[in-house]
Amino acid sequence: MANSILLTILEVILMPLVAFIVGLFMVLMMRKLAAKLQRRVGPPLFQPLYDIVKLYGKQTQISHGLIHDIGIIMAVGGYVAAEALLPVPGMDGIAAKGGLVTLAYLMMVPSLGLALGVGQCANPNGSIGISRALTAMLAYDIPFIIVIFGVAYHFGSTNLVSIIATQQAEGIAGWGISEMPILAIAGLFALHASLGKQPFEIYIAPAEIATGPMVEMGGKFLGGLFVMQTFQLYTASVLYVSLFLGGGENWVTFLIKCFAVLAIPVLIAYLFPRYRTEDLIRLVWKWPVMLALLGVAFVMN
Amino acid sequence: MSMLDTLLLISLLTVLLTGLGQRVTFIGWIATLLLTAQLLTLLLMGKLGYGGEIIDASFGFSILGQPLNWRYDALSWFFALITIGSALAGSAFAAGAWGDQYRKEGGNPGLLQFSIALNVLAMLLLLGSGDLLSLFIGWELVSWASLLLMVIAGGRASEFGMRYIVYATAGAMAVLAGLAIIFQLTGSFAYDDLAAVAPALNTLQIVTLTLLFFFGFGIKMGLLPFHLWQADAYAETPGPGTAFLGAISSRMGLYAILVVIIQLIGLVRLIEIEIPYSFLSLRDLLMWVAAISIIIPTFIALRQSDARRLLAWHGIGQGGYMLIGLLVLDPYGSAGGLMHVFNHATYQAALFLSVSAVIYRTRTSDLNRLGGLVTRMPLSFLVMLIGIIGLAGIPPMNGFVSKWLVYRSLIIEGMPLLFVASVIGTLGTILSVYKLIHNTFLGQLRLEHEHIREVPLSMTIPMLVLSAIVFITGFMPGLVLDWVGSAQVALGMPQLAHTLGGVESTQGSLDMIWVCSVLFGGFAVGALLFYSGNKAKRVHQLDNYAGGHFLTADVRYHYSDNFYAGLMHHIGSWYRGSFLWLESSLISVVSSLSGGAQLLYNSFHPALYLLMAITLSLYFFIG
Repeated sequence: MANSILLTILEVILMPLVAFIVGLFMVLMMRKLAAKLQRRVGPPLFQPLYDIVKLYGKQTQISHGLIHDIGIIMAVGGYVAAEALLPVPGMDGIAAKGGLVTLAYLMMVPSLGLALGVGQCANPNGSIGISRALTAMLAYDIPFIIVIFGVAYHFGSTNLVSIIATQQAEGIAGWGISEMPILAIAGLFALHASLGKQPFEIYIAPAEIATGPMVEMGGKFLGGLFVMQTFQLYTASVLYVSLFLGGGENWVTFLIKCFAVLAIPVLIAYLFPRYRTEDLIRLVWKWPVMLALLGVAFVMN
Repeated sequence: MSMLDTLLLISLLTVLLTGLGQRVTFIGWIATLLLTAQLLTLLLMGKLGYGGEIIDASFGFSILGQPLNWRYDALSWFFALITIGSALAGSAFAAGAWGDQYRKEGGNPGLLQFSIALNVLAMLLLLGSGDLLSLFIGWELVSWASLLLMVIAGGRASEFGMRYIVYATAGAMAVLAGLAIIFQLTGSFAYDDLAAVAPALNTLQIVTLTLLFFFGFGIKMGLLPFHLWQADAYAETPGPGTAFLGAISSRMGLYAILVVIIQLIGLVRLIEIEIPYSFLSLRDLLMWVAAISIIIPTFIALRQSDARRLLAWHGIGQGGYMLIGLLVLDPYGSAGGLMHVFNHATYQAALFLSVSAVIYRTRTSDLNRLGGLVTRMPLSFLVMLIGIIGLAGIPPMNGFVSKWLVYRSLIIEGMPLLFVASVIGTLGTILSVYKLIHNTFLGQLRLEHEHIREVPLSMTIPMLVLSAIVFITGFMPGLVLDWVGSAQVALGMPQLAHTLGGVESTQGSLDMIWVCSVLFGGFAVGALLFYSGNKAKRVHQLDNYAGGHFLTADVRYHYSDNFYAGLMHHIGSWYRGSFLWLESSLISVVSSLSGGAQLLYNSFHPALYLLMAITLSLYFFIG
């Protein structure tokens, strides 16, 4: 009993650490892919880490008040906690004690934290950005939640550990993507929108609202958002891999799957322009929602 | 004399003392003290919450040969706990500085305390009803008592109160009709007789009874399409009154639905009845009414620009979660629905109180005239933050746990569209509560609010206690699930097996103790990372990016109006007020009917009609 608790605590500490390191490489991959598409060389291996260290070490650090600080802490901390609910090869953390629905809602804590922090900055550009970001969340979370329903209903459980175990026991034919291909497409769509990359980055919109939520963020505040992004990329891709690609049998295949999943939205992102908020809602509520509902209809029959 | 007698007696004493002592300046504290005594008495009956024996009242009488009696079981105890708890919070909030200011402005805090106490007594009687007749009497008492609380403010409030009482009377008529049918069928008003006869009723009888009672009791919950009265009527009540009304008042409708439809008529029968030409059973129809009652009021709330109305609309939406959970008929859903009654009362009361605190200092709840108050009223901000996290149903607050239970039962029972509908409600709630806290506490502090201070202790303590409950019961939901489990047994439903941290099941567990600890661990890591960076310098709010301009205090630099412009561009056209149209057409039908009746009465033989009415009533009483 005491041993298993200690082991869980150890895993809960290790999992976010791993997530952070993998997330750094994901940021690197994203930048490298963008560079390749734009015929540039791209950044060196440790550039994401350098950026974070630079931002945290900057001389000028401007705070607009305690809630500004707490917002950044919540944004990073929420994701650190969410990682403990995402099983990776060899470590389940507290995945069995929370499950899919808890994870989906825990992933809203960082958004709420960021929204609070930006609100305290008293800059209308930031507030407009948050209004757009929350609207985008309302848009993409609906197909996402339908996908979650489909998967949970199919496997008869909201427990990610058993969802992964079921898929692995049956091999590729038992993976979510082979059994529920339509849901997998809808899920990929929702995942892309949730990352806030082009063409869904209206809430950053540098030319119109001066980078929106980031307008008053500099130094370690921006650094915190950078760390949040590494976690965000990791969480989204690992969740997708766990739901549809059988999770991780071992670290090699696991990482290959994760990076491959992430590469799809990233490639699309750098090839497409940007949607307005209302177009985003229209697009996401139409196609992925329809696909997801169709997928659920298949799952339930 | 049983404990229940003592409880009702203290409640009656509270009503009498607050009623007689209108002019006493410290009447608020007396009311608070007496409500505390009621709470303690209820806690002495605490065995009920853990599966104890039913407690009967030792009084009781009969009307026309029909016995009336009162008793408390686990379900009554659970609802009574919430009632007295929220009344106590509101009463304590109003007792000190708030009441003094209210009096200076020409209000009568004694009357407010009296109305709260009267509502509590009426609700305690309703919750204790041991047969359909006492249920109806309690129901009417509650309806009229809450009217008193609604119209205290006068002015527009009386108008909204009148609208409420029209709805409530229509509901009461439906309930009365239902009772008449039951009396025809069973010849008595006893619960047991109805429960015994229910399995033998035919489909038409079941449908008629269900719809009559659902309509009658559902009006109190603000279920669609009878939702229009509630938000206006609740929002106009003076501060702590709204907290009490918003926390518990409309749940009395849920209690009555629970007792009559779910417990006595029986959900199983409703599942068996198919609606012709649809895939739905009667139960599914009721669930969809609940689901639509989640979505539409939530998105109406999103559009409000008054903090109290915004919260009141959410109160209607959250009622839908309770009903939907209870109608699923598995241990998870019903536990979620019942637990949400408790959870909703705690965070909703906290939210209304924190809005009242803001009104106390700024004199307004207009979301376009506030902003930046967090630096002046940090504790009220904290209360609102905890409250909105609870209302939105995000970990680690208690609102998440009850919604999780509802979601989980909808997933496992395979109800995708209802699940999606309830999640859409949650997402809309997140948008709307962020607007609430952003427009009130974040952003630019207005010049006229520079001098504002935090509200006095007499107001912060009730708010903070409520917030603490919101967090603690989120951290250890087992505390509430114990009571919920006993209430499930009292209702004759399967009981939810639970642990202190949540539930354990092969189909997906929840352990909030772990989840919360890890979340706070995550925050600690985030804080460590943050404070390891170079020290930040605090700047004034006007030291801000403004596209090359200098900001001055007279520049309004707060984005508040039409907050979700992009979303409204898309769904704005959906708010076309078709329900307002429905209401106004109903009104014109009723008024032309009554006009016709009046004409008939006046132009023909009034005396004859009077004679007929007297003869009929004599026949009814004597014959």
